[in-house]
Amino acid sequence: METIRFDQLDETLYYEKLENGLEVYILPKKGFSKTFVTFTTKYGSVDRSFIPLGEQQAITVPDGIAHFLEHKMFEKEDGDVFQKFSEYGASANAFTSFARTAYLFSATNHVYESTETLLNFVQEPYFTEKTVNKEKGIIGQEITMYDDQPDWRLYFGTIENMFKEHPVKIDIAGTVESIDQITAEHLYTCYYTFYHPSNMLLFAIGALEPEKMIEVIRENQKKKEFAKPTPIKRIGVNEPSEVAIPERSLRMDVLKSKVSVGLKAKETSLSGREMLKHELAISLALDILFGRSSDFYTKVYEEGLIDESYSYDFSLEQGFGFAMIGSDTHQPDKLVQAIKDQLKKTEQNWPFGEEELERVKRRRIGFHLRALNSIEYIANQFTRYKFNDMNLFDSVAAIEELTLADVKQAFQSLQGESQQTVFKILPLKDSTKTDSESEGSKA
Amino acid sequence: MFNTLEVAKDVHIHTRVTDQFKTVNFSLKLRRPLKVEEAAERTVLTNVLQHSNAQFPSTASMRMYLDDLYGTVLYLDTSKKGNEHVVILNVETVNDQYLKNSDVLSKVLELMHTVLFEPNFENGTFKENIVAREKEMVKERIQSIFDDKSRYAQNRLTKILAPNHPASISANGTIPDVEAITLQSLTDTYQRMLAEDVVDIYVVGDIDETKMVEELKKALPFGDRKSSLTITEIPKIQPTDTYVKEKQDMKQGKLHIGFSTPVFFKDVDFPKMQIFNGIFGGYPHSKLFMNVREKESMAYYCSSSYSAQYGLVYVMSGIDVENEKRTLQLIDEQLLAMQQGEITDLEMTQTKAMLQNQLKEALDSARGQIEIYDQYKDLDEDFNVEAWQTKWQAVTKEDVVAMAKQLHKETVYFLSGMEDEK
Repeated sequence: METIRFDQLDETLYYEKLENGLEVYILPKKGFSKTFVTFTTKYGSVDRSFIPLGEQQAITVPDGIAHFLEHKMFEKEDGDVFQKFSEYGASANAFTSFARTAYLFSATNHVYESTETLLNFVQEPYFTEKTVNKEKGIIGQEITMYDDQPDWRLYFGTIENMFKEHPVKIDIAGTVESIDQITAEHLYTCYYTFYHPSNMLLFAIGALEPEKMIEVIRENQKKKEFAKPTPIKRIGVNEPSEVAIPERSLRMDVLKSKVSVGLKAKETSLSGREMLKHELAISLALDILFGRSSDFYTKVYEEGLIDESYSYDFSLEQGFGFAMIGSDTHQPDKLVQAIKDQLKKTEQNWPFGEEELERVKRRRIGFHLRALNSIEYIANQFTRYKFNDMNLFDSVAAIEELTLADVKQAFQSLQGESQQTVFKILPLKDSTKTDSESEGSKA
Repeated sequence: MFNTLEVAKDVHIHTRVTDQFKTVNFSLKLRRPLKVEEAAERTVLTNVLQHSNAQFPSTASMRMYLDDLYGTVLYLDTSKKGNEHVVILNVETVNDQYLKNSDVLSKVLELMHTVLFEPNFENGTFKENIVAREKEMVKERIQSIFDDKSRYAQNRLTKILAPNHPASISANGTIPDVEAITLQSLTDTYQRMLAEDVVDIYVVGDIDETKMVEELKKALPFGDRKSSLTITEIPKIQPTDTYVKEKQDMKQGKLHIGFSTPVFFKDVDFPKMQIFNGIFGGYPHSKLFMNVREKESMAYYCSSSYSAQYGLVYVMSGIDVENEKRTLQLIDEQLLAMQQGEITDLEMTQTKAMLQNQLKEALDSARGQIEIYDQYKDLDEDFNVEAWQTKWQAVTKEDVVAMAKQLHKETVYFLSGMEDEK
């Protein structure tokens, strides 16, 4: 087992790559009583077209299958895995995102037994037509629940607007219709293609002994047989750099409109330290332009164009990236105009200097140090960073290195009117009709 | 867990020295009896104080200063605890030792003083334009509940289940009460809060305890409190209806049920009721999860929660409209099963293990340490995890059956989509 020391942060990380290809990272944390372990595959909702393990022909699987598979991993021939974790007093959970599926637990007792349970349930698939069909009712209700959430509809509506081909535009859970097509055979195909240890990462953090933890994991993995690791063949798409739909709206039973401006990223091919610096630079640019200490924020807050729901964010993975700026508002068109004006101003002449950069750098450094108190944050983020060949613990140093030129250069990825889209949620009964109104695409 | 010092009558500083975190956390809590009109005043007040003071009159100038202090987080909020209304000032700042060169901590203490004791006054009151803007913000916040259907349904349930009762009074107050606020009434509320509220100041981090207490006394100079703030008993709930159905334009039905129990946080039966709730619907091994979700595929979520401050148990689930009766029946069956003693040893072991784990995990964050201690310190005993483990371990199946029998179904609320949608 290797050790990696981060002096400024006072952390020591342990690392080992097992024979079967599984990467294991262990980070002991002093003073904590809980341990948090995540077991993650680099497989998410965007991986819908690929060549299955051992075959020649590419296939496209029904939408929502990665998430469906995540649900079904918890059910075994002898019952529900939650029961086992509860016996250990461990809270288990899982989530599926665009690019990852993570299984996890936290516990203050029986940590090593729970780790074995985690490895075993994720590495022993059990799917039958009966259990698969039973799950359709449950996930159907999950989809319906999200359908009624205006903030989720706003988020996804904006993504749908931005992408023409890329599967990021497909809802992670799929639709009631698409999940109805899922069979046990589909699940096995996806499972064997994407759940090979060489496509996975285990991260353990908290109150644990690194030597003992690695021993438990090594022994557990030695007992199991896996196919030889083979590179996964995903089928890519050609996504144009401009947005698919510049503007769209949806009516829902809300009192106040919601609006989101999406900025589609042109640069989505970086990895490693370049990607780390790039995404941090864009976050800093957004802080300067749209943060709570910006002129923009003061103006729209004082004019009553935004409220406490105001937020902005940047997401980047290999193959897709986007920023979103939005708020609940009574004047969606005015707010959109203010956001677009701010972007335009930036394009013509970058209106900010070293002083603003220094301030938002400090803010981001503080954010990263605060986040390092949360072992859940570290585990989830470390895995995301690692899957993109970045290191979470390099963040503070990378922020310190960034110059104004880096920030300006990185922000170009989001600049240009053809990169911009607008999505609105409007109240059902509303006198202020907007020109661009059309029916929402999802029912 | 904390060292407590009474620095003036009913003003306490609670300190906890630990190198567990890379930040220092403060939490200041100001309490007085919960009254609906005052809730609105105090909520608008927190907004006004957060966005403007004598040194930093605008949001942007305040935010810039916080950014300079390495993104120090500082926010005010309101909440309720039983019969009390609480104004909270939470602050989290990076520990100086992780920074190259700075003296953030002492600046943060000065800033806490500024936020609370140096208001942005004009002719002896808060400024009109700021108050008007923040009243609007709070109104929007209250209204936004309507757009979140689960929160809205839960809100409606508590209003029907416990009208004019602390359980249903929002810590944010009501829209008419926000509208009624004047510059003078807000200023009076502010001065009353500083002079009369019971004060608890918490600090957790790698700090020099003695020095910190001295600095806090200087930064937050609260004098002796008058002893007039007596907290009354929680009254009995009086539901207006037993079954209410409402409709909105939405897809999923939201089924929310309210049960009353005679068991409150301060009662000896509290740990027994916690175990009851864990088995009933508190965890993924619970009867509601295993039957309504896993066995019958009726729902993505079906769970129960125990609101011990008010002696209430809530069940909530998201279902198809046509499954309303069936789901209600399934929920009733789970409760009946528990009342008839259908509780396994495994369910007991699992629930005890989960409760212990949950408490220990919550103590792994500075905020968790503060909140749990703040709640448990009101009991006539010293808080420690082992004592609670012992209490849970002592609970028997018979105890849980006895708890189940004391649950009384008061109100069912069902919010669903329009008929023609389906």
